[in-house]
This record gives sequence, C-alpha cells and structure tokens, in this order.
Amino acid sequence: MNPLAALPVLRWLIRDTFRQSINAGVFWLMLALILACVVLCLTVSVVDAPDSSGHLDLGFGAVQLSLAPGRGVAVRTLEGYLAGWIADGAGLLLTLMWTASILPSFLDEGTSSVLLVKPIPRWILLLGKCLGAITFVLVQDTLFLGGTWLALGISTGIWDITYLCCLPLLLLHFIVFFSFSAMLATATRSTTACVFGSILFWLLSWATNLGRHAFLALPELQAAAADLGHGVELAYWILPKPLDCHLILTGILQIDSPLSRVFNAQPLTEHGAWQPAASLLASSLCAVLLMALAAYDFATAEY
Amino acid sequence: MMLVSTATAPAIAQATDASVAFAGVSKTYSNGIFRRRAVAALRDVSLRIESGEVFGLLGPNRAGKTTLVKLLLSLCQPTTGTIQRLGRPLSDRSTLGQVGYVHENHAFPRYLSAAALLEYYGALTLMPHERVRERVPRLLDLVGLADRSREPIARFSKGMIQRLGIAQALLNEPRLLVLDEPTEGLDLNGRSLLRDVVREVRQHGGTVLLVTHILTEIEHLCDRVGVLVNGRLVHVGPLAELTRDASGSPRSLEKTVKDLYAETSI
Repeated sequence: MNPLAALPVLRWLIRDTFRQSINAGVFWLMLALILACVVLCLTVSVVDAPDSSGHLDLGFGAVQLSLAPGRGVAVRTLEGYLAGWIADGAGLLLTLMWTASILPSFLDEGTSSVLLVKPIPRWILLLGKCLGAITFVLVQDTLFLGGTWLALGISTGIWDITYLCCLPLLLLHFIVFFSFSAMLATATRSTTACVFGSILFWLLSWATNLGRHAFLALPELQAAAADLGHGVELAYWILPKPLDCHLILTGILQIDSPLSRVFNAQPLTEHGAWQPAASLLASSLCAVLLMALAAYDFATAEY
Repeated sequence: MMLVSTATAPAIAQATDASVAFAGVSKTYSNGIFRRRAVAALRDVSLRIESGEVFGLLGPNRAGKTTLVKLLLSLCQPTTGTIQRLGRPLSDRSTLGQVGYVHENHAFPRYLSAAALLEYYGALTLMPHERVRERVPRLLDLVGLADRSREPIARFSKGMIQRLGIAQALLNEPRLLVLDEPTEGLDLNGRSLLRDVVREVRQHGGTVLLVTHILTEIEHLCDRVGVLVNGRLVHVGPLAELTRDASGSPRSLEKTVKDLYAETSI
C-alpha cells in the first residue's frame, strides 16, 4: 500500500477515536478533574514571611501549607504535586481505564468484521486507533498542564516554564502502559481484561521499580535477599519504570517529593545504578516491543 | 442509481475468470483451553462463482457458511487449499476495495451518525473523499435513511442498522457483494429493497454471494445454489435442479433442501 494513501486513513482513524473518546463518560470525569485543578490553582497565594517561614494558601486561605522559603520553590512544589501525583498518578489510572475500551470496542465482532474487510493492512487500523488515543491524551495533558500553569501564573505571578517540560514525560509514561493495554486488547478483545490487566501491570511495574531501588539503597536488604538481585535487576530493565519517571519529573522541577527523599537519586546516580536516559530509553523500548506484539497479534488473528 | 461501477461492467461480462474460486479448501479451528481440540468447519470445499452470477449458499446451523464467507473476506486463513477473490489470491488485499459486505449482525459505532459512518468507511475503503460525499446522500436516500442521516446510530432500530449496513456495502460500487443473512431484522420494505439491490448489482455485471436460511430469497434471486452440510459442499447447481424433479415436474424447494440435509448430515 502506498504510504501516502495511508495518511488520510490515519487521519480518519484519529478523528474517529476523538469522537469515541468524547462519547465516553470517563472523558467528562477527567475534564471535570482538570477544571477543578485549574480552579484550585486560581485560589492559590504564596505568603513570604520575613523570617523565611513562608506558607502557601489554597482555597483563598482555607488551607495553609508550610513550605520551604521562596515563592518560586513553593509554586514549583505545588506543580510537582500536580504533575507527579495528580497527572501521573490518578490521571494516568483514569486515562488507562478510559482508553481501555477504545480497542476492544473497535475489535468487537460486529464492528471488526466490516472494518477488517477493507483494503488497508490491519496494522494501519491498529496504528490509527493507538495514535488517536495518544493524541487525545496529549490534548488532555496539555489542557491540564497548560490550564494549571496559567492559573498559577495568574494567581501568584510566577510563570515557570519548566513545569510545561513535564508534558513529554507524562505522555511517554501513558504510551508505555497503553501499549500493554493494546496488546491485551488484541489478545483478548475484552475491556475488562484491558482495565484490570493494565492496572495490574502498572502496580507490578511500580513494585519492581521500588523494589529494585530499595535493593540498591539498603545494604541490609542486599544481604538478606542476595539471590533475588539478578531477577529484580532483570525485571527492572524489562518493565516500565514509573518510579524513575517520578524521580526524573521531580528532578526537572528541582523539588523534593516524599519518594525522592526516600529514594534519593543522588547515591544511586553516583554508583551508576540509576541512569535517567537509559531508564527512559528502556521504557520506550518496552512500549515499542509491546506495540509490535499487539500489531503482530492483530495482523495474524482470525475473526 | 448506479450501485456498481459501469466502467468495469463490460470487462466483467466478457471475463472468463471466476469472481470467487475455492479449490480444495478446508478450515479447522483449534478450540479448548489449550487449543488442542480441532474442529473442522469446512472440509475440502471446491467452488466457482462466475462473474455476474447470483449464488445462494444454504445450509443448516453450524454447517460452515459463515466460515466460508470469512475465508473469502480474509477474516481468517484456510488450513488447506487456495482461494481466489476477483481473480487474485487472498493475499492481495486491494481486491477488498471492490467488495461489499453485509454482515448478519452489524455493530456500528453508536456515537456516529449514519452520514459520518459512511464517510468514515469510505475513507477506509480508500475512496476519494469527493466521491464518498457524492454517494453518501444518494445511498442514504436509497435505503430510506435520508431524513435521519445526522442522528446518532444509538437511536436506530435493528432494521435501520441493517439498512445502513446495506448502504455501507454499496458505497464502493462493489464488483463482488457478499450478503451474510442480510434480511435479519429487515421488514418487508427492507427485504424488497435488498432484492432490488441484488438485481441491480447483477444487472451491472457484479457478482453476489447470498448466504441465507430464507428459501424464498433464494428462489427469487439466485442463479445457482450451493448446499453446505457439516462443512462439506453436498450440492452445487442451478436453482432448477432443486425446484424440479428428474421428470421436470415442480417440487418444493423446502422439501428438497430438508431431504438433502437429512441425507448428508450423518
């Protein structure tokens, strides 16, 4: 098939995924979450005290949080919570649940038996739907980061562009877990399997990533479970690395978070045990491999 | 209105190539938890459907009719044997651009309108957008959905969805129209519409494969009939062979088919 002829097909598949997404209830829930965060950011004010014991007010002073001194650090810390916990935590889980139905409903027997009787290769159909889901999540992440950045800028007068640099990282993180969901969708054609499978995969990846860093950071753990070392290391490099993503994100924003305090990246980096670039590359390769498996399964499946 | 491309019609009429050719085709599915239980859905099926012909396929439930259709449409692969679609091997997917398919139980995306669905499917069939935009209102008018073209499919009844299924199958002016239990959910007007569609496709040199349980449809429309029982093609021939006895006297198609099922189902 002429690659140029595939472009309009991809455009239509992306457009269809947008329509499908807007039609889903979870989309509106996520939009409401984004709006709530933007409104919350509009109520923020940072108070710098002369004795350097500043605090950050939320909800027009209804909630006061003590923060490290400096208006910039205070806002960046809040941005760290927004990007690291809301977008990359709750947001990612909601997005995985919402996108889990996109491919199974596309592969439903009554729908797929007509769609697959088209002259385009099956992998283009899969690519188009996946690109549609990814593009839609990109729009949502942009709305979230852009909206909260604007709101924080308006309410505090601090316009720190570093926050917007979290966007590619958040998107990559979604792609990695969505590719697993896509593989499950082609294998099982079940929304339930995709929802629970991708959430279990997310938990497993977190556990492996936490376990691996704990193993390296705590010498007493190494002594107690020396036999597990190679297995944990292998699993760490194969699976996605959500903790690493979180540490990179807090590193970009130059802030402390509870996790970065426990798994302080500095000693791991010094011993060469944690390389952010290699970690991101390995996670990206994991996504590519899972997508390739999904494409192969879809291309050879019998309907 | 024109349902099949007249540009290709003379060529089809003169062609000696079969539109559909099955040669020694068998299909075995692997079932069970470990996929170790083999189930033969088709056994050594050889069949030719000539261009411009309306071919009816009959058979009891689980005879292998849908498997035959799925093989023809590349939805699954034969275990043994070869299949040609519009004179080309199945691996040539470009021929699917000249095939229309009406499924027995369509499940179109419920969030789309009828017009949006046809435009979307037209794009997936690699049709030029202008041609799609030109054909969509005409086809919706043909199937009686012109006044509801902007409504979400979620509000459609089963019969309306089936009519939409007919419209999407005709969008690309097919040279080969495959109808798998197409009258499922259709009212009398819908059935009459379907008959008109089949006649017009044939008139323009197109080929129709009609899979149905409804014998009256076969009697009204088909030139030749195949009977599939337990995965084997037990009869292929002109319709008259089933509606007349050896002496040429008329006999009931229903009785003939029932007898054929009974004789060959053991």
